[in-house]
Amino acid sequence: MIRILHLSKAFNGQVVLEDISLEIQKGEILVILGESGTGKSVLLKHMIGLLKPDQGEIYMDSQNITRLSEKDLLKMRKNMGYLFQEGALFDFMNVFENIAFPLREHTRLDRGMIRRKVLDILKVIGLEGVEKKYPSELSGGMKKRVALARAIILDSKILFCDEPTSGLDPIRSRDISDLIRDVSRRLHCTTVVTSHDIQNSFRIADRLALLQKGRIVALGAPQELRNSTDLFIKEFIG
Amino acid sequence: MKILVNFGAGCILESGNALCFLADILGHIFKGRIRLAEVLKQVYEQGIQSVAIVALTSLASGAVLALQGYAAMGRFGAKEYVAHLVALSLVRELGPVFTALIFSGKAGARITAELGTMNVNDQVLATRTMGVDPVEYLVVPRMVACFLALPILTIISEIVGIAGGYCVGVWEAKIPGIFYLNQTIRAVQYVDFFSGFTKVFFFAVIIGWVSCYQGFFTKGGSLGVGRFTTKAVAYSYIFIILSNAVLTKVILTFWG
Repeated sequence: MIRILHLSKAFNGQVVLEDISLEIQKGEILVILGESGTGKSVLLKHMIGLLKPDQGEIYMDSQNITRLSEKDLLKMRKNMGYLFQEGALFDFMNVFENIAFPLREHTRLDRGMIRRKVLDILKVIGLEGVEKKYPSELSGGMKKRVALARAIILDSKILFCDEPTSGLDPIRSRDISDLIRDVSRRLHCTTVVTSHDIQNSFRIADRLALLQKGRIVALGAPQELRNSTDLFIKEFIG
Repeated sequence: MKILVNFGAGCILESGNALCFLADILGHIFKGRIRLAEVLKQVYEQGIQSVAIVALTSLASGAVLALQGYAAMGRFGAKEYVAHLVALSLVRELGPVFTALIFSGKAGARITAELGTMNVNDQVLATRTMGVDPVEYLVVPRMVACFLALPILTIISEIVGIAGGYCVGVWEAKIPGIFYLNQTIRAVQYVDFFSGFTKVFFFAVIIGWVSCYQGFFTKGGSLGVGRFTTKAVAYSYIFIILSNAVLTKVILTFWG
């Protein structure tokens, strides 16, 4: 379970997150919705310990990660996967090497086993036969799939996805959203997704949180948000 | 006045950050957290791929030194000392400094551009999210490779530079080949070689440190990569030239 308590963050005096409190249950898919620049990605980066809050705490199960050193955070992140908005694949490695990277770093699997695991996961994400290609040879959607494969190759217990559908056409957006949902269910992992893609967010989320000007203004199941009479929520979800 | 104060404060802050970065790198190296495969890859990319440019410039430099030496010393009837001039100039001073400057412009710029591009594309952040220390994985191998590649390149540069001087000495100044080689061997003593060679290790640290630091903290997209790469090369040049003046004085004082 992820528990965020009274989290606040400002950059150069500009408040980005203000008194955020949120609980994410084990195995749940939570989508954080909000307009661009409302602090969705900043919140996600706090959850994986890439940013330290000005105030507040974040607990992963019983561990307060805001007090961990970078060394301990590195250890903790072995159980987490993070899908970057643009994929952030290593451009000097091919697809196979990119996906195998966490396995080579954190496991003692032999070459054959690593190869089998990478090829298996390529099958799962529907990208068989691209293992020798470099990121520059892939489309935006393919890059995100490969990045997702890299994020979950260690059977992560927590998966963070930052704007997974941005820059993709509606069909690719739906595909990657479904893939995230399927993978999340298969691995029973807690998944936090930031997005402003309303349609796909409602398709995959167990719960949705709506951020406005650094504060959570709505939190609930998709149906609850749909039934909301709040003007901003109604306007935002259309 | 306020601008000067801000500039001074900025310089102090930047220097502090750069020193902490160097301490972090050295901490990894002294703890033995060095990835050998990555180091070898970097030695190839930085060192072996720089051999041609270093050799070419050294050949030309050695030849020019010999030409100028022949023209100047010929006036005093001392053209047979051209070999001394070429060998001592290259080994004591020009070889290490020229090689460091060329290495900085080629390998140093490459390091900054690579790390900078990775940084602006979130690849450095991605290594952290995968539980891997980016300093250990990306910076330490590049720094160690600088330390290994630059001394070897300097030796190549000095040998090729002397060969350039030899060609001019034999073909242009009509100095007998055997005589030229004998003069060269007699001219260069251990102290001459090591007084120049010692500097190379300082230059390697400067180039590795400046290039990695600028790359690792690049921001501002593709424009930023260009800006920080230029900064890295300019700073490396300045620090090499300035430190060379200090090191030369120190070496001459204690070593002669």
